[in-house]
Amino acid sequence: MSSVAPTRWTDESMRKRLRRRYAFEGWFRGLGLAAIGLSVLFLAFLLVTMAAKGLGGFVHYEARLPIDFVKSDLFLDPATLRGPDATQTVAGADLEGAISKASVSAYGPTAAQLFGDAAVARLSRAIVANPDLLTGQTTLWLPVASKVDITAKDKGDANSEALVQELRQRHALRRNFNSQFLTASDSTDPSAAGVWGALKGTFFTILVTILLAFPIGVLAAVYLEEFAPRNRWTDAIEVSINNLAAVPSIIFGLLGLAVFLNSMNLPRSAPLVGGMTLALMTMPVIVIAGRNAIKTVPPSIRDAALGIGASKMQVTFHHVLPLALPGILTGTIIGTARALGETAPLLMIGMRAFVAAPPGGISDPATVLPVQIFLWSDEVDRGFVEKTSAAIIVLLLFMLLMNGLAIYLRNRFERRW
Amino acid sequence: MDMKQKMPITPTTPVPTPSVAIAAEAHARGPSTTEPPLPAESEAPSVAVEVPAATFPEGLDAGREAKMCADRVSVFYGEKQALKDVSIRIYDDRVTAFIGPSGCGKSTFLRCLNRMNDTIPSARVEGRIELDGEDITSPDMDVVQLRARVGMVFQKPNPFPKSIFENVAYGPRIHGLSSSKSELEGIVESSLKRAGLWDEVKDRLQESGTALSGGQQQRLCIARAIAVEPEVILMDEPCSALDPIATAKIEELIHELRGRYAIAIVTHNMQQAARVSQRTAFFHLGELVEYGKTSEIFTNPREQRTQDYITGRYG
Repeated sequence: MSSVAPTRWTDESMRKRLRRRYAFEGWFRGLGLAAIGLSVLFLAFLLVTMAAKGLGGFVHYEARLPIDFVKSDLFLDPATLRGPDATQTVAGADLEGAISKASVSAYGPTAAQLFGDAAVARLSRAIVANPDLLTGQTTLWLPVASKVDITAKDKGDANSEALVQELRQRHALRRNFNSQFLTASDSTDPSAAGVWGALKGTFFTILVTILLAFPIGVLAAVYLEEFAPRNRWTDAIEVSINNLAAVPSIIFGLLGLAVFLNSMNLPRSAPLVGGMTLALMTMPVIVIAGRNAIKTVPPSIRDAALGIGASKMQVTFHHVLPLALPGILTGTIIGTARALGETAPLLMIGMRAFVAAPPGGISDPATVLPVQIFLWSDEVDRGFVEKTSAAIIVLLLFMLLMNGLAIYLRNRFERRW
Repeated sequence: MDMKQKMPITPTTPVPTPSVAIAAEAHARGPSTTEPPLPAESEAPSVAVEVPAATFPEGLDAGREAKMCADRVSVFYGEKQALKDVSIRIYDDRVTAFIGPSGCGKSTFLRCLNRMNDTIPSARVEGRIELDGEDITSPDMDVVQLRARVGMVFQKPNPFPKSIFENVAYGPRIHGLSSSKSELEGIVESSLKRAGLWDEVKDRLQESGTALSGGQQQRLCIARAIAVEPEVILMDEPCSALDPIATAKIEELIHELRGRYAIAIVTHNMQQAARVSQRTAFFHLGELVEYGKTSEIFTNPREQRTQDYITGRYG
C-alpha cells in the first residue's frame, strides 16, 4: 500500500490550482491579442500616412493655355515633321520659350514660370502627333510647374498664390490623373519626373536575380540535402551559407563593386550587375529554405520510390523536389522580396546615377525603385516630397503583385495531384 | 538462373481477381485463425538431429534451388551489431515469415535483401546474399536493377501523392517496361487486378492514391510493387497499421501471389505468420534462433526460446 494520501480532486487547494491555470491562459490570450492589435495599428498608421502623402503624387493640375503658333518664334515647318525624325526636330525648337510667351500673354507677367518641363514634353508630343497645329492657333491643357501644383494642392508657396487664384477664377485650372508619373523616368523637374524607368530597372534587376539565384540555390539545396556526404566539408559549407544569409547587404555591394565592376569590367549601373549582386544575397536564403523544405519530405516517399528501383536522381527529381517545391517557393519569395527592397548594395555598384531614359535591356544604365525613392527623398525641391511617397506606394504595389504571383504559383504546385 | 517456373506478367496473362465472395467471407469471419492448406512439398526425410541454433533442420528443402540465399549475414549500425551470422533461404513458391520481438533484427535482415540498408550511412553488411546465385552484396551489383527484381512493401502504406494510375505506372515507366500508352494501361490494370484493388478503383484511377483507405493504400503499394515484375516481394509488417478486415484482404492477397513470387514477410502477429507462411524464421536479439516449417515451429519448436516466444512468455 502506498503511504501517499490519495489525490482529492475536489479539494480547495486543487480548485485554486485550476483557477490559477485558467488565469494564466486568459493572460496569455490577452497578451497575444495586444501584440496583434499593436502590429495592426502600426501597419494602419504606415498605410494611412503613405496614402495621405503619396496619393497626391498620382494627380496633378493642368492649366489651359491658348497658344498661337503663327505669332510664336517657332521656326518649324509642318512638312519636316512628317518624317521619322519628328521628335528630334521638335526637341531642337524652343518650345519652352513659346509656352512662356503664350502664358504671359494669357495670364500676365507672373505667369512666365507657370509651366515646366512636363508641359514642354506634352506639347512636343502633341505637335508630333498633329503637325498641322503649327499652322494656326489652338488651346491646350498642359501640366503646370511643380511650384504652382503644390500651391494648388494647398501646400504653400505664397509667390504663386495669386496666380492660382487668377487661374481658378478664369476656370483655367483643372485636376487630372498624372499619367506622366507612371510613364516618365527621372527628371530634375518634379513635374516631369516619373517612376517608369525605375520600375523597368527593378524588373530587369529582379529578373536577373531570380534567374541566377533560384536554380543555383535550389540545386545547391538538393545537392547538400540528398547527395552530399556528411563530413567536415559539408558542415563548413553549411555554416558558411548560414553566415552569408546574415551578412549586411552593403558588404555584398562592395563585393559586387570589386568583383563584377573592377575585376570583370561589367557595365556600371546596369541591372545585370545589380541582379548578380542581389543574387549573391538571395541565394543563401533560398538554399536554407530549400534544405528545410526538402527535409520535411517524408522518408517513406523516398523508400517507396527506391523500393521499386528508382535511381537516386529519379527519387529526387520525380518525388522529393515536387513535394518540396511549395516550401522552396516560399523561401524564394522571402528572398526576392528582400532583394526587391534593397538599396545599399546597388548604391555601391553605381545604380544611384541620374538616369533619365528607361533602360532597354539588362546592360543599360538603370536605377531601381528603392534607390529612386532614396534619391528623391534627398532632393531639395519640395515637389519631390509627394513623388517620394507616391513612388513608395508603387514599390509596395509592385511587391504585392510579385508576392501574389508567387503565392499563386505555390498553390498551383501544391494542388498538383 | 532458374526462371522457368515464373510466368512473365503481361497484360494478357489471365489474372485471378479475389472475388467479392472472398471479401465478404473475410468480413464475416474477421481475423482468420484457421491455417490455410500448405502447398504440396517434396517429402524430405525429416531427421531430428540436434543442431546448433541458427541452422536448418537437417534435410529440409534438400535439393531445392533457393531463390535467395543468405549466408552468415551480419549487420552493424556504427559500432552496434544488429544482426549476427544469419543464414536463410527463400524459395520461389513459398512464403517465408520472419517473427520475433521488437528490435530483434528481422526488419534489418529484410532490408538487406534489396539493399535498402544502403540508405543508412552508418549501416555495414557482412556476409553473402545471393539472388539466383549472384552475390547482391558486391559493389558491382546494380542496386537499381536489384530493387526492381526484389520489390518491397513497407510497414506504413506509402503511396505517392499522385493519382492511383500514376502510382502503379511509375515503376514500369522508369524501367521502360511498356512501349505504348495502351500497354502501360494494361500493366496498371493487371497489377491492380492482381492486388485485388481493380474493382474498387477502376472508375477513379485519376484520383489521388492518398485518398484511399489504409487497406486500399497498402494494396495499392503491393500493386505498385508487382507492376515492375519483381521476382521476390519483401513485406515489412504490411498489416501492422491496418484493421482486421483490411488485414484479412492482404492475407488473401498473399495467398494469391504465392507461387508467382517468392515472398518474405516480417510480422509481429504470430497468427498471421501461421496463416500465411510455409516457412518461419524466429529471430531474437539479432540472432536467427530457429528456422523451419511453419507448422513445426508453431506446434513443435526445437528451441526453448522459440517455445517461450510463441506461447507468449516474452516479446
